[in-house]
Amino acid sequence: MSTQVSGGEVTDLSLPRRKRDAFLAHRGIWMALLLVGALAAAASYVDSYLAYVATSWVIFGLLGLSLDLIWGRAGVLSLGQTAFFGIGGYLGSVAAINLAPLTGNTLIWSGPVGSLAGACIAGLVGWLIFFGRMAALQATILTYTVTLIIWTSAVSFHATVGVAVIGGDNGLAEIPPFVVGFGNAAAPLSPNGMLACTILIAGGAYLLSASLMRSPFGLLVDCVRLNAEKTELLGYDTRKIQFWLFVLAGGIAGLAGALFGHWANYLTPSVFSVQECLLVPIYVLVGGRGTLAGPFVGALLVGGLSFWLGGGVIGGQTTLVMGLGLMVLVLFVDGGVIGAATSLVAKGNRLRAVGTETEGEHRHSPVTALKSIARQGSDGSLEARAIVRRFGGITPVNGVSLTFQPGRVYCLIGPNGAGKSTFLRCCMGSHSLSEGEIMLAGKRATTWKTFERARAGLGVKMQTPQIFDELSVAQNLWVAAYQAEHDRRAADRKVAAVLTTIGLAARTKLRAGELSHGQQQWLDIGMVLCMSPAVIMLDEPAAGMTAVERGVLASMIRELASSAAVIVVEHDMDFVRSLDAETIVLHQGELFARGSIEELRRNEAVLDVYLGRRRHVRTA
Amino acid sequence: MRRCSTFISEGAGMFELRDASAGYKETVIVHHASLRVDSGEIVALLGRNGVGKTTLMRYAMGLCRQVAGEAYLDGVPLPQSTSRRARLGLGYVPQGRRVFPRLTVAENIAAAAVACGHKPHDSIARVFREFPMLRQKADALAVTLSGGQQQVLAIGRSLATQPKVLLLDEPTEGIQPSIIDEIAGSLLHLNRQTGLALLIAEQNLDFCLSLAQKAYVMSGGTVARTVTTDQLRTDKALLHEMLSV
Amino acid sequence: MQVDLVGITLISAVASASVLLIATLGLAVVFGLMGVINLAHGEFIMLGAYAALLSTRAGLPFWAAIVVAVILTAAFGAVVEVLLIRRLYSRILDTMLATWGVSLVLYQAAVVVFGAVTPGLGFSFPSVNIGAYGISAYLLALIAVAALLTAALYFLLTRTSYGVLARAAVQDPQMSAAIGIDAARINTATFALGCGLAGFAGAVLLPVVPATPGMGFAFVVKAFLGVVIAGPLALSGTVMATGLLGALANITASVWSAVFGDLLFFGATIALLWLFPQGISQRWRLKL
Repeated sequence: MSTQVSGGEVTDLSLPRRKRDAFLAHRGIWMALLLVGALAAAASYVDSYLAYVATSWVIFGLLGLSLDLIWGRAGVLSLGQTAFFGIGGYLGSVAAINLAPLTGNTLIWSGPVGSLAGACIAGLVGWLIFFGRMAALQATILTYTVTLIIWTSAVSFHATVGVAVIGGDNGLAEIPPFVVGFGNAAAPLSPNGMLACTILIAGGAYLLSASLMRSPFGLLVDCVRLNAEKTELLGYDTRKIQFWLFVLAGGIAGLAGALFGHWANYLTPSVFSVQECLLVPIYVLVGGRGTLAGPFVGALLVGGLSFWLGGGVIGGQTTLVMGLGLMVLVLFVDGGVIGAATSLVAKGNRLRAVGTETEGEHRHSPVTALKSIARQGSDGSLEARAIVRRFGGITPVNGVSLTFQPGRVYCLIGPNGAGKSTFLRCCMGSHSLSEGEIMLAGKRATTWKTFERARAGLGVKMQTPQIFDELSVAQNLWVAAYQAEHDRRAADRKVAAVLTTIGLAARTKLRAGELSHGQQQWLDIGMVLCMSPAVIMLDEPAAGMTAVERGVLASMIRELASSAAVIVVEHDMDFVRSLDAETIVLHQGELFARGSIEELRRNEAVLDVYLGRRRHVRTA
Repeated sequence: MRRCSTFISEGAGMFELRDASAGYKETVIVHHASLRVDSGEIVALLGRNGVGKTTLMRYAMGLCRQVAGEAYLDGVPLPQSTSRRARLGLGYVPQGRRVFPRLTVAENIAAAAVACGHKPHDSIARVFREFPMLRQKADALAVTLSGGQQQVLAIGRSLATQPKVLLLDEPTEGIQPSIIDEIAGSLLHLNRQTGLALLIAEQNLDFCLSLAQKAYVMSGGTVARTVTTDQLRTDKALLHEMLSV
Repeated sequence: MQVDLVGITLISAVASASVLLIATLGLAVVFGLMGVINLAHGEFIMLGAYAALLSTRAGLPFWAAIVVAVILTAAFGAVVEVLLIRRLYSRILDTMLATWGVSLVLYQAAVVVFGAVTPGLGFSFPSVNIGAYGISAYLLALIAVAALLTAALYFLLTRTSYGVLARAAVQDPQMSAAIGIDAARINTATFALGCGLAGFAGAVLLPVVPATPGMGFAFVVKAFLGVVIAGPLALSGTVMATGLLGALANITASVWSAVFGDLLFFGATIALLWLFPQGISQRWRLKL
């Protein structure tokens, strides 16, 4: 049974192609657009003092959006968003103060300058974090320290830029208000006008972010969050993905800062204070992390709460309530307000199993399908030249030289601790070499990073299935295919072909995390296929498979070997036999023997190594 | 049937797993596995890589998801908590040794002794008597020891809990032959002297043959058969089939 | 450069580093032995300060006031651990946020109960002269206090049962359970220890740092950074980190200004984060 795949019937791939599909997929965006418009219109009817205060809630919601992008979607808790906010505010306001007299319009200066300033500082910090490969805690502390530095400096920073005077602790005063008209007669907006204008700008930023998160880039951001190592194994430079998102988030924070300057007409270093900085995660948590709209709800609720209790957000009863609220939130509520609401809805819509599981259904590897997957014209060879890997006091790989050419299946066997996994990781680029060279397709790849090796044609399947558990089956495959094809439609086609081959065509919409262990193995194999690798490394691919599945896998491997070099690490000798492979035995980090599996079976030395046979036990 | 133990009471114990099913997150790796270790017995747990030996050992210690089944010590069902199982007499030497790296050799042993309410000085002295090679490394940080020394320390540490049954997961993996000899000799000596029961999961067949009286063979995630070590020694076909070599 | 100026600068730097170390050790213990970042640490310092202040007002001698402060903060810490921290096991960033919630509540409560005005302690300390410059004898004494405290902690963590069990539990939680260690009780004890140390800091620093509801904040920022930079060895890493950063910042502050001193502290933090992503003590082969 094979799935009928024709244009338009293909389900739930990342990028639907028809207009109707496009509208349906983006219906969330259309609804949001309508909502933003409605809110902006409603702003005219609100009490003007409330409108004035509510404008600040929207601005803080925008600041929260910048954090949600980087924390909720990319998984990095940045405590530096207020730094970008403040810098954007200061610089944007300086621009507005000096240049507004030219145009009358103030936003046209503060907006772009503020965003750019925020983006640039974020770029610097992002470079330190992502290209320095910092772990989560270090990244958070770094952003926190940046905020501290800027705060400390701002308190004693005095400068005069044109007409604008920055007076250290006194800050920057006389920032012009919102003026959206042009020319000298342009008047500042009323509080209601200000609210409407802010809603439109913030709404625009939200819609831009939401659309971006639905694009391939957004999908990749989620992939990095879900499994950064796998994303890199597929050939993506994860550092760049996170870096650019961080820069965008910085720009949004800077824009919010510029708006804040116009709203308050006055900026002091308190915008950089630690209390303000720790408020932003609260907005995100209350509203729902990762939802992008959540921070607005959070800012609304927190701002509304302090408005109702009287007094500013910092100090007074609000602090007490917030402190308690924070504890409760972290302890009990995982998704914030929006999270709680949508999880009820999502339980119904959730990607569910289509039909029942049937064992041994489908999977066959039509020769044509695999041939279309194969990489065109490349020298698919991998060579390890006398590689040594030392670690602490142990040498797991000690001078191994092996060459793998396309056209053959190679099996790597050996007892536990022989160095097979370490050898794989050296070839992949996860481990650096103490000595020796790795050559990939004839080029010296020893210093190449993992994603560079993947792009050169190295496809790896690790022992435990590496998948993106929150994405659908089809999305998992699509991400793998997109890197190899660089084209959405080509990726769609490849995904359709591979789905049949791995037998998950009936489960395209299913969340990958809900597949059984065996199905996840097949999905992982499918992702490797989508890469059209020239060199394929499989670490125990048959683990957990039934006898029927092993048969299919074996024939698939033999088929792939006709155009690629396939290296399989295995323990199951029957499976190794069915691959008709050249077998290599590793022992204590060195090459011990090689030959056909039959030859090795008769080799007593090999059996000794496996069974640990030595007459060595003295009875007490 | 309860056996009458003539050994020093310290080692008496009967350990049993009934119908164990275990796994991680959403996967079930071991299902309906049953085994039994009587007081003073040495039992081997054999099987190919990935078949579930380690998962079954972790199940016994309460360290992985308990899907179904029960563990018994002296006929009494064991509580869920790992630390309580340890204090009730289940000793564990995990795969990969896992000594506490920034504790000294003596502190590793002392931690186990104190946690189970025994005097650290006495426990350390006993372990050093049993494994003299550790004595000169007494104040060295465990991370500076070689693999073989760490394995010996891991065994000594678990002995300090004064267990009734000792579970060992691949104790010979990556260890040089001379230390394997020492380990085998010491385990046999302890078993004969104190009646300490042992359950050893291993791939090293000879190590098992020299110590165990019987073996459980795992296959397909469950305990497929029970054999005596005599059978293992003589039946080559059984050997090949079981190890798929 | 005059010798006495160099001398006083160095001694002030060491004294300043000692003050920071005293305030940081509690946080280091909790982070190093539990993996928890307690953002309410500053408020526990504040609680200790107020407890000592009120005790001396009630007529107790200073040393007894310190004891009272330690007992109160340790007990309160145990309560917080059982009710809050225990439920957030291994969620490091969530613990940060939750303890920040605790700190907000405590700060607000202190403002309400104590108000913002603090009368002084009523001690005065002689000044010790170094050439043309003088330094308070109490500050010098604090250098000794810091050294003694570090030594006492080292002793507690390496020579007592609790210490060995706590260190084992943080190095390998699963394995320590497998040898019978009850992690829950150890963790409560560790958190209580950390809070008790904070209380000690607040009390012992009272003559130099008056008690205000917001006093903890100034310490917690630098303590927090110092602990993360320190790395896995809670004691030696923290001594090195706070010693280095605190002393350098102090020297910079006295040569230029307090602002530059802070900037140096933060800038050096970033540099050390870049160079030692897992902390400066990652590769050290020491016990603690």
